[in-house]
Amino acid sequence: MKSKQTAIKTRRWPTVLRRSLLIGTVVVAVWCVWIDYQVRTDFKALQWELPARVYARPVELYVGAEQSVVQLTEYLQQLGYARSAQVANPGEYLVEGSRIKMRTRGFDFWDGEEPALYVEVEFNGDRVRALRGGQTNSDLAIMRMDPIEIGQINPETGEDRVPVPLEEIPQQLIDAVIAVEDQRFYKHFGVDPIGIGRALISNLRAGEIVQGGSTLTQQLVKNLYLNRDQTLRRKIEEALMAISLDLHFSKEEILTAYINEVFLGQQGSRAIHGFALASEFYFGRPLGELKLEELALLAGLPRGASYYNPQRNPERATARRNVVLARMLDQDYITTAVHDVASKAPLEVVNTRATQQRSTRGYPAFMELVYRDLSRDYDANALRTEGLRIFTTLDVGMQNRMETILANAVTAVEHESPDGSSPLEAAVVITDTSTGEVRALSGGRRGDFAGFNRALNAVRPIGSLVKPAVYLAALESEQFNLASVLADSPVELAIQGGQTWAPRNYENKHFGDVYLFDALERSLNLATVDLGMQVGLDNVVNMLTRLGHSRSVPEYPSMLLGSVDMAPIEVAQMYQTLASNGFRSPLRAVEAVTSGDGAPLERYGIAISQVADATSIFLLEYAMHGVFERGTARTAAGRLVRNLPLAGKTGTTNDMRDSWFAGYGDDLVGVVWLGYDDNRDTGLTGATGALRVWTDIMIELDIQPRRNLPPEEVEWSRIALQATRSPSSRNCTNVQSVPFRTNATPDVSVSCEDNGSLIERLFDRFRDRR
Amino acid sequence: MQRFLLVFFLLTLNACATYSDRGIPAPVESSAPVESSEGTIVDGQAPPFTGPMMPESRSSQGPAQESAGSVRGEGRPAVPEYETGSAAAALLVSVDTAIAQGDLERAAALTERALRISPRDGYLWYRLADIRFQQERYTDVAGFAQRARSFAGSDRQLTSAIDDLLERSNQATR
Repeated sequence: MKSKQTAIKTRRWPTVLRRSLLIGTVVVAVWCVWIDYQVRTDFKALQWELPARVYARPVELYVGAEQSVVQLTEYLQQLGYARSAQVANPGEYLVEGSRIKMRTRGFDFWDGEEPALYVEVEFNGDRVRALRGGQTNSDLAIMRMDPIEIGQINPETGEDRVPVPLEEIPQQLIDAVIAVEDQRFYKHFGVDPIGIGRALISNLRAGEIVQGGSTLTQQLVKNLYLNRDQTLRRKIEEALMAISLDLHFSKEEILTAYINEVFLGQQGSRAIHGFALASEFYFGRPLGELKLEELALLAGLPRGASYYNPQRNPERATARRNVVLARMLDQDYITTAVHDVASKAPLEVVNTRATQQRSTRGYPAFMELVYRDLSRDYDANALRTEGLRIFTTLDVGMQNRMETILANAVTAVEHESPDGSSPLEAAVVITDTSTGEVRALSGGRRGDFAGFNRALNAVRPIGSLVKPAVYLAALESEQFNLASVLADSPVELAIQGGQTWAPRNYENKHFGDVYLFDALERSLNLATVDLGMQVGLDNVVNMLTRLGHSRSVPEYPSMLLGSVDMAPIEVAQMYQTLASNGFRSPLRAVEAVTSGDGAPLERYGIAISQVADATSIFLLEYAMHGVFERGTARTAAGRLVRNLPLAGKTGTTNDMRDSWFAGYGDDLVGVVWLGYDDNRDTGLTGATGALRVWTDIMIELDIQPRRNLPPEEVEWSRIALQATRSPSSRNCTNVQSVPFRTNATPDVSVSCEDNGSLIERLFDRFRDRR
Repeated sequence: MQRFLLVFFLLTLNACATYSDRGIPAPVESSAPVESSEGTIVDGQAPPFTGPMMPESRSSQGPAQESAGSVRGEGRPAVPEYETGSAAAALLVSVDTAIAQGDLERAAALTERALRISPRDGYLWYRLADIRFQQERYTDVAGFAQRARSFAGSDRQLTSAIDDLLERSNQATR
């Protein structure tokens, strides 16, 4: 009985086994089909999430352009151009005294292609004297350099790459990658048993893992679809997927995907993928410009991008490079002579500054402005994944010079802080007078540090910076002229809640009757309140809005003295409108956006609207010149002697919490704010703090003097130096010539122009002398 | 004689009334005409553009002819002819090419490039206004045209062309 049962069991086993095998085979077959289907569809639709690339405004060269040998050389270095005696290839340049020879790389701008070109630039000091180039080296009218990439807006994965087609990959790089990673790439079917066997033997001999058996195809599969687990199932999956990939796609397609996918470095949260970006990242130059030893270095990185990082571990990187070169020699990709030269080449020092400029850490404050502007039209996902190219208004040369000056300038005015307290902070905005383009921006005293961006986000009271709006509203009303007499006297105003407001002047002084222009030049609070209350708070608020302030401003009298909150960039908007003679142009950081392949998507051109008449602006500017010549900024006049006349205004808030200066010349508008993040007393007025920083920056940038010619409705009249309300007390001994609107000339009580008959004027003068 | 002496005496006193300049600009008795352009203006045609920006440049046609189609009516401006080989001249030829190709936004961008080089050139602002007019962006026309006028100074033909453009823009929006 027992033996019968055993026999039945024995008979059943093959059946169970057969069934199990059958089921197992079916399951494996389904799995294989599923994997095959997945790989086919996924790889066909392979599309990387590509970060948006952000470019600064390119340098334009033409005869007369403001550019020196030093400035252009710095620009070329930032672009990663290499010095070369021959200047034979794109991306090479040579400085010969006051001449620069170069071969540009060319660039596909949103409005057309700038071709790669041989160019010779001759300089005369700070200007371009001659520009030649092209095949015949003839005169060129104008050319654009390639733009500096100032940052990316990366996908959430942090992956950054510049996908390139296989035709753009140097053959030597392909040879190097195949030699070191998968020498039987063109022979195997996705998995390489011979390679695995060879690796096994090598590893057994060495007693450690010195060689991997994974093919390029397997590595690609691993990167694209699988996690890092080292399980048997994952290994089988990887092999099956590699076979499937090899079956359905060409070797060239697989190689292209590998070259663009492979991880080659890390910079903060930004992951460097693909050889094209790695070339930019490590050498500051495109792949096509790299030498054999540099390509070999890159080809050695997939084994361990961090371990062989040439910036941090140059010796390891060099050794790895030489392994790659040795494999290339072994496999006859290069000759012994070439190998010997390349393997002895020193590791080129990677220009970390240049590569850093390409990261988002380069210009964090400006990048935030770009992102903020773009987010009006693009959702975050589009910016992070669609490979958009964003052309901005940043003037890299100006930004760098401003940053260099800023940190030292703030240190120079800073009072000693208690230990452990936060340092004095700063914000700077520089815009183009005519177009409203933001040319430089700093969100802190060190422009290259990311963090709280005060230029955009520190919304603080602007103090006396508001006053030009008060005076412009007055002048525009034609009820006032520059020689209108204001009362700079103590006053108490009833405000809401039955309370009174008693403004004071700086240092509690008051000056009685003063001229309107004098009150602005010396920033007299009491006279400004007198004027503002006569003009009407609503008219002042309206003027602020017209000048570009977009927030609502409560109509309190204290608003006349600057209890209006603005961020530095909002102040820049207001002063930009003044600087462009009453034409408001919304400040812009982005000029155009294209798709990754260069198709134009959006352009943000100049937009202007006239919000104030030229005559009122001209009259206001007379007083704002006076701020430098006679007023609160006169301490800076001596240092700005080459740049005057300039227009500007100081601003100081209660308890000296904020020190402001806003000013402009013919070309630039600049706003500087100084203050503490915890809002404590800076010990600085606008004149002793922000003005000094502004002056340091503007001297460096050589701000151009204002040359605002008077409109037709303006005439000049002499007025008595001392303001008075009564003709009988007028004293024309000392006079000042002041501009007036033709229909709003000075009152007889202050005018020293000759009126009436000659005899009457002579007697009038005689009477004045008594 | 006594009266004469009194007059002489008072004239002497008048001379003593000092003009305190204290750094203010020299007084101008009447408003001076505004220079219309930063670019050197010479007689003759704008030169052909030989630079890299415009491979399709046409050697015999200056901006006046190219833009004539867009400037209608009596108020056609005198087209400034820029210095041979100057950046502004080159860019203007490219502007005309872009207009001829119907790529008005590119034309606007090229005009803006020229304006960055010569921001006080009334003619360039006028061209920008004209391009916006052709794009039927009438709200933008006024700003550019008024800006052009603020730099036109004594150039009556340009002023007249600007007024004409403004008038046509206003009519189009009615």
